[in-house]
Amino acid sequence: MNPEVDKLQELLARVQRNAALPRTLVSASLRQPSEPRHEAPPVAYAAPAYVAPVGEFTAEEMFFESEPPPPPAPAPVYVPEFTREAPASASLDSSVDDLLLEDPFPSAPPGPSYNDVLEEEPIPLVAVAPQRPLDHEDDVSGVVAISEFADEEPEELLEDDIVEMTSAEAAALPTANNTLDELSFDDLDDKHSAPPSEAEPPASSSRSKIAGTMDEALARAAEQIQLEEGREVPLKTPPPESGPQAALPAGLHAPLAPDIEELLEADILPSGGVRAAVPTTEQLGQTIDLEEARGPSLELDHALASEGLHDDSSSEELEVTLPGREFGGGYQEDLMPPPEARQELDAHRQRLGEDSVPPPPESLAQYPDAQPSGFAPVIVPASVTTDSYSESVSTVTVDAPSKAEFAPELLARPDVSPSPVAKFIRVEAPRPKTFMELLDSSLALGSD
Amino acid sequence: MSLNFDPSYALEFDFGRGQIRMANAGERVIVPCDALLALCQGASEDAVRDFGRRLGTEAGRAMNDRLGEAWQASLETVLEHLGGELALMGLGSLSLERWGQALVLSFSHAPLGGAGDLLLGSVLEGAMQRSFGRDTVAIKLMRDDQKVRFLMAGRAGAHKAGNWLAEGVPWAEVLSRLATRGVS
Repeated sequence: MNPEVDKLQELLARVQRNAALPRTLVSASLRQPSEPRHEAPPVAYAAPAYVAPVGEFTAEEMFFESEPPPPPAPAPVYVPEFTREAPASASLDSSVDDLLLEDPFPSAPPGPSYNDVLEEEPIPLVAVAPQRPLDHEDDVSGVVAISEFADEEPEELLEDDIVEMTSAEAAALPTANNTLDELSFDDLDDKHSAPPSEAEPPASSSRSKIAGTMDEALARAAEQIQLEEGREVPLKTPPPESGPQAALPAGLHAPLAPDIEELLEADILPSGGVRAAVPTTEQLGQTIDLEEARGPSLELDHALASEGLHDDSSSEELEVTLPGREFGGGYQEDLMPPPEARQELDAHRQRLGEDSVPPPPESLAQYPDAQPSGFAPVIVPASVTTDSYSESVSTVTVDAPSKAEFAPELLARPDVSPSPVAKFIRVEAPRPKTFMELLDSSLALGSD
Repeated sequence: MSLNFDPSYALEFDFGRGQIRMANAGERVIVPCDALLALCQGASEDAVRDFGRRLGTEAGRAMNDRLGEAWQASLETVLEHLGGELALMGLGSLSLERWGQALVLSFSHAPLGGAGDLLLGSVLEGAMQRSFGRDTVAIKLMRDDQKVRFLMAGRAGAHKAGNWLAEGVPWAEVLSRLATRGVS
């Protein structure tokens, strides 16, 4: 085999290994040479959620509709414009190495924001569908990059496009004398797809020429830093409303140069990851130091804690001395058991033979049990009964001690001689039911 | 036992034989009141009483035939049936009054007048004897143009009431005394 083929195979294996890594942006699959490409340079920041105004196409309509809706007749806003051929530099793929070696400080102004892209007209957004409708199979992560809707030519390709390259195609490549690091896919693009006249990079391209050696790259980076210090960098966070971007105030500095490691993490981490959720310092704006909380400060009540415990004057003020030995297992005697544990406690006391369980309270209607000691009610039944039922059953209850010196005084109603207490008035005799009864009663009159 | 007195076809006039028959009874003779009254006035009191009791017995028998068990009949039932039988005889309209425990029977529209009160009283006594088996004495309490009242009492009560009436005690007072004495 040819050593160049071996290098290419090694490169192919490397690309395949990198391809297994997750990525945020949509990797452009291998497209047909005749298929137009409409990719914008990848945006380094996460676009804010865009709320489409009334009368404007939303992102869902543009992303997932297989065919574009018919444009209104008088509105020439979305007139497709695809007669222009894609530049040769965009027809080939680019690898991750290109992204890594990309100049972090492009000389060209940053790509248009999401709002700017949507508000520009004419924008060849809808015309993508007639040529090749958006296919979700091409989408790896389910996120469509904004670059697909930009009319600018893509300047960078990802390594996924290279994965599709077969060995036959690789063998058909001309022999390269450069080393592996010096390989440039732009050269391949130029040789394969586009004529030399169309190989000029677009004006919006931020890619610079790749340095041949590390020293040259460092020198370029230092030079770029010097250039960046002398000019104002506009804010990358778009304003809520479309319009010219606000320039930074004089007191604020431009964002620092992104780190290479951060770029790698941004490539690996999903778009909705931690990095996307954490705002930058510039996005937060001016930091205001909060004042301390007002109000009384929390203090330990030392006197309350030391009342029921030992009065140990030697202890520190905020320390609490453990209770002494006499408090171990003790409890306050006047504490009452909880109501749910009362039944269990009574059963336990009965098992222990204790008769300390107080009897249930007796009502006056019940006949009292023999009280062992203390005060007991003495019931003196009335010895005189009268015609009244309520009086005959009335009793007198006296709470008196059982000792002799406190004997109750018995009171009885005096005797009353029996005498008629009621006088009945004779009413008319009942009407006889039969004639025979009336005849007999009438015959009995005057018979004494 | 029919509760209502039905006088239909109670009398049968047989013109061929010249006879008048009462249903469930024998022949009847229609005589003028004056003639009967003259007879009664010419006869002794016992004869008049006996004549009247025979008439009453005949009425009692006819009532029992209609009522079946007269001793269980109510006041209204006895009055209706006994009065109907006496009305068929032409003795007047029978009424019943209850003064406390006293039973008072009265006749109105009697054709015989005051001269025939002894006869009417005797008819009631005969009916009570025949229907209920009780010996009663009909004491005449009062008499006016339209009505004559008889107290149906026993012998003792009739004796007292007769004495009070003879003393001029009003008949209402006699009834009150009989009621008071009976209780005490």
